[in-house]
Amino acid sequence: MSETRQFGDLATQLVIESRRSTHTDTLLKYNDSLVRSIIREQRDLEKAADALSDHVGDRPPPALIIIQSAINRNTRCLLAYHSHRVDRLRDLYWSVGGALPHILSTQDIRSKLSPHEVDYLRQYNNYVMEFRSEFSHELDITASITNPPKDLHVLVHVVKDCGVIETELGTIDFQKGQRFMVRRADIEHLIVQGYLEEVL
Amino acid sequence: MDWEAEFQAGTLLNNVNEKTSRSTTDRGTSSSTRHGRSTTLLGDDEDDRDVSMAGPSSDPAVDEILEWNIAEEAHLEKLTRHWMNERHCPDILPAEDELLSSLLDHIRRQSEAVQLLRGELSTSEEEHLRIMLVQTEVERIKFVLRSYIRTRLWKIEKYARHIVGNEEMQARLTTSELEHARRFAKLTDQHFHHSVLQSLPEMRVDLDDEPMLAPSMVTQPDLKRPVFVHALTTCPIIQFEDGTSLQMNKGHISLMAYAAAEKLLLRGDVELV
Repeated sequence: MSETRQFGDLATQLVIESRRSTHTDTLLKYNDSLVRSIIREQRDLEKAADALSDHVGDRPPPALIIIQSAINRNTRCLLAYHSHRVDRLRDLYWSVGGALPHILSTQDIRSKLSPHEVDYLRQYNNYVMEFRSEFSHELDITASITNPPKDLHVLVHVVKDCGVIETELGTIDFQKGQRFMVRRADIEHLIVQGYLEEVL
Repeated sequence: MDWEAEFQAGTLLNNVNEKTSRSTTDRGTSSSTRHGRSTTLLGDDEDDRDVSMAGPSSDPAVDEILEWNIAEEAHLEKLTRHWMNERHCPDILPAEDELLSSLLDHIRRQSEAVQLLRGELSTSEEEHLRIMLVQTEVERIKFVLRSYIRTRLWKIEKYARHIVGNEEMQARLTTSELEHARRFAKLTDQHFHHSVLQSLPEMRVDLDDEPMLAPSMVTQPDLKRPVFVHALTTCPIIQFEDGTSLQMNKGHISLMAYAAAEKLLLRGDVELV
């Protein structure tokens, strides 16, 4: 690290990372090392603050205020980073129709999550499932809400094998390369997860 | 569309057939259904109605489908309005428990009826078309319901911390929504604690703190957000913060801060567009 580093430089990097993630609309890898170094900086700042406040009797030196605000700022940046990430993860979760196993088994995504984030998603999934169970007989609230259904049936092309699925017409074994005319509501989640593709 | 004309012609034709074969008792299920439909459509022939009532009330499910259009239109309209309001409103609007459960109920019965009819071999070609229309309609209503519920859920998660400490807001949620808000707020706190706060020297910052010189960390609804307001009736005069006032007549559309329109919206005098 260079000598000219200022308080809060690292935290700024972290926030810039969040911003980049928003602008490019991608989930970046959890930056564990940066988070750790900011936490280390926090400890150092905290020590410095303690030293200063012990030092004088009646009036705290101005340096203490600067250190204090650096500490507050760092904490805030850390929280903002994590909060931004879980917001993104929740968006991701809903965009695949609440299929948590699908997210966790995709190596590309899994490798970008911190262990805490995996826990978070698991627990979140439990809560959503519980909320959903209120409606389960009539309505699956995790299904897509981007395009209103125009047709009852849809012609799909199987991109990835997804095994035997229960549909209105009985069970269908979807194998790669096949085409089916099926009821949209039965297989919508498979389109969302990328197993099937709609033939237009 | 052509089929509509055909359909009309078909029902009229049936009507005639019906009259000629009134005495025959072994009328099939399908024809009596069509007959029932024609009664609803035309609703003019006293004799006809008698027959339909006296005839073998073959299939209550069919009757149910026929009733759908009339009874549920109003509900559906309400749902659409609440859906639009909810989507445009920065705050969370009062829950529409009753409307929702009655619609869900109806959807369930409707789906059961459709299942029943599909299983029957005697259903005619024309009825299959109608069943398909009903199914499509059900799917579309489900879409609106889903979108409505999800919009609320999204806002609830966004304002979860605020909701936990605000009773007035809690009153606007259903029990399960409130439960979700509580659990979600706790979950997020825990996550912050595990990944950040516990590694810091001491718990410097409580999430509820109002830090000096910095915005609060609890997200609150922005009541000043501008919304487009469409007057459904002649509204009482709105007083704005800057001392001006506005009287909206039916059909009037205006852009204003949400806070100014909130009362009218809750009374149902206006809708957000």
